[in-house]
Amino acid sequence: MASLLQADRVLYLVSGEKKIRSPLSQLYYCRYCSELRSLECVSHEVDSHYCPSCLENMPSAEAKLKKNRCANCFDCPCCMHTLSTRATNIPSPLPDDPAKTTMKKAYYLACGFCRWTSRDVGMADKSVASGGWQEPENPHTQRINKLIEYYQQLAQREKVERDRKKLARRRTYMPLAYSEKYGLGTRLQRQRSGAPISGLAGLSLKEGEDQKEIKIEPVQALEEVEPLPEDYYTRPINLPEVTTLRQRLLQPDFQPIGASQLYPRHKHLLIKRSLRCRKCEHNLSKPEFNPTSIKFKIQLVALNYIPEVRIMSIPNLRYLKESQVLLTLTNPVENITHVTLRPCEEGDQDDLNSTATVAVSPKELLLAGKDAAAEYDELAEPQDFQDDPDVVAFRKSNKIGIFIKVTPQCEEGEVTLSFKMRHDFRNLAAPIRPIEEGEQGNEPIWLTHHVELSLGPLAP
Amino acid sequence: MADLNAKQIQKSVKIAPGAVVCVESEIRGDVTIGPRTVVHPKARILAEAGPIVIGEGNLIEEQALLINCFPENIIPDKKDVEPKTMTIGINNVFEVGCISQAMKIGDNNVVESKAEVGRNVILTSGCIIGACCQVNTCEVIPENTVIYGSGCMRRVQTERPQVSRY
Repeated sequence: MASLLQADRVLYLVSGEKKIRSPLSQLYYCRYCSELRSLECVSHEVDSHYCPSCLENMPSAEAKLKKNRCANCFDCPCCMHTLSTRATNIPSPLPDDPAKTTMKKAYYLACGFCRWTSRDVGMADKSVASGGWQEPENPHTQRINKLIEYYQQLAQREKVERDRKKLARRRTYMPLAYSEKYGLGTRLQRQRSGAPISGLAGLSLKEGEDQKEIKIEPVQALEEVEPLPEDYYTRPINLPEVTTLRQRLLQPDFQPIGASQLYPRHKHLLIKRSLRCRKCEHNLSKPEFNPTSIKFKIQLVALNYIPEVRIMSIPNLRYLKESQVLLTLTNPVENITHVTLRPCEEGDQDDLNSTATVAVSPKELLLAGKDAAAEYDELAEPQDFQDDPDVVAFRKSNKIGIFIKVTPQCEEGEVTLSFKMRHDFRNLAAPIRPIEEGEQGNEPIWLTHHVELSLGPLAP
Repeated sequence: MADLNAKQIQKSVKIAPGAVVCVESEIRGDVTIGPRTVVHPKARILAEAGPIVIGEGNLIEEQALLINCFPENIIPDKKDVEPKTMTIGINNVFEVGCISQAMKIGDNNVVESKAEVGRNVILTSGCIIGACCQVNTCEVIPENTVIYGSGCMRRVQTERPQVSRY
């Protein structure tokens, strides 16, 4: 459907640190700042972790412990598809009577896409359906853990030194304020707490842990390196046996060269994220906690608040000839919206890419509200709007079609134009102050957006 | 029981007893179908440039196309071109919508949905041509090869999936 709608032909400009032009379907609207926000001007926060195949939720602490991998699901090391467990019946001798054999179920992992099985790498069939599969142990784990501990300690020590230096310098000025902030202000406080509190997340020792000195041995450089085998250059390559770079790098701790060493790994977890406006710190998008639910608790997408412009039909465009393009404007809210279009002025800084001039009617256009029950209500009276037939082509519930006149200015290339759309917006957030008599609760605010259209190449 | 199709008996379509060939399928030319082979409706077996011999136990699903056609740049001339026989072995599966023009197909192969096998390919045994893969090279596919993915990656499988029949 996305290619049918061609959403990237109509771009809205987002004013922020970076000027971003993007289709309305990918933008968010901050109701409190009354501005459009794109993905780059919001802060992304991790809400929850879940496994994409078994849809199991995992708290963040557990996810961190398991290195963001699911406990039950495996990925095919060959094509990265999810592995499924299959069962076969194998004859096995009965425990009491070795002469007779009985059918027992044996389970193995298989990929439905590339037909890889766990028997390919020599993993024996397990007798339990889940939980029997182990990832291979990395021989360097111990050394890496020791190094990580050593560096954690080092980082902590450096932080304490830095804090102490800062405090030592400023002790004469504001001792009291700083002692609260760091918690280690005076010597007395430091001697009382067992372990210093470090601000580094992820590299901090637990409180109360003993500060024992960890010594690591430096790595020894070897003089002699193992020589390459003699037939390294002459041996013919067995291509199906060699792993591809992608397969190799997906397992960075082993990086196997041969396909017979490709063991399956646990599946990576995915996250649900929530978005927050950077200026006013309100949430723009907050998904449900349940991994099986695709709904949102808070969903301030721009499509629900801002009228959408879509290109309906484009005539043959010719150089320096004025032609009429038909656009549609759709009103997403339930009350009547007043929209005015006007062309960009000369020297407008936002107007970078236009290759055509546009002439729009300055009249105010009325958009009827979106009425969800309108299609079922047969006796509804059609609302009477006085439409100028030169400007408004058709009107259908909350949508109108408008004509704009486009004159391409460049002989070659795509025809792009831009204009400003001004509309009123009623904030439906509950008013904090109680409405007094005679006072209108909702004052409309007027928003202006810069819209850019890409109409395609000139007619030959 | 042989289900013979009264509509489609051309001069030389031989269907062995035990085969199930549906009425809605289209079979043209000189075709021999072995026992226990199932041809689903809307399958098409066209023997244009020569006869087709299909072995036992094959499964030809809907909208599959098995065609023995002329090579592209040779215009069929009645005298010159000698009809070559297309042979298909036993226990092969041609899934929905696949197109197979290979002249020689062995046993236990699977041509998955919407795959295309060209005229100059020879499938040996146990090969699996993945869904939507197009193999139009000029080669013999070694045994137990799996061709999968959008880039037609290949690997050798060690197991043949058990073929379950009715």
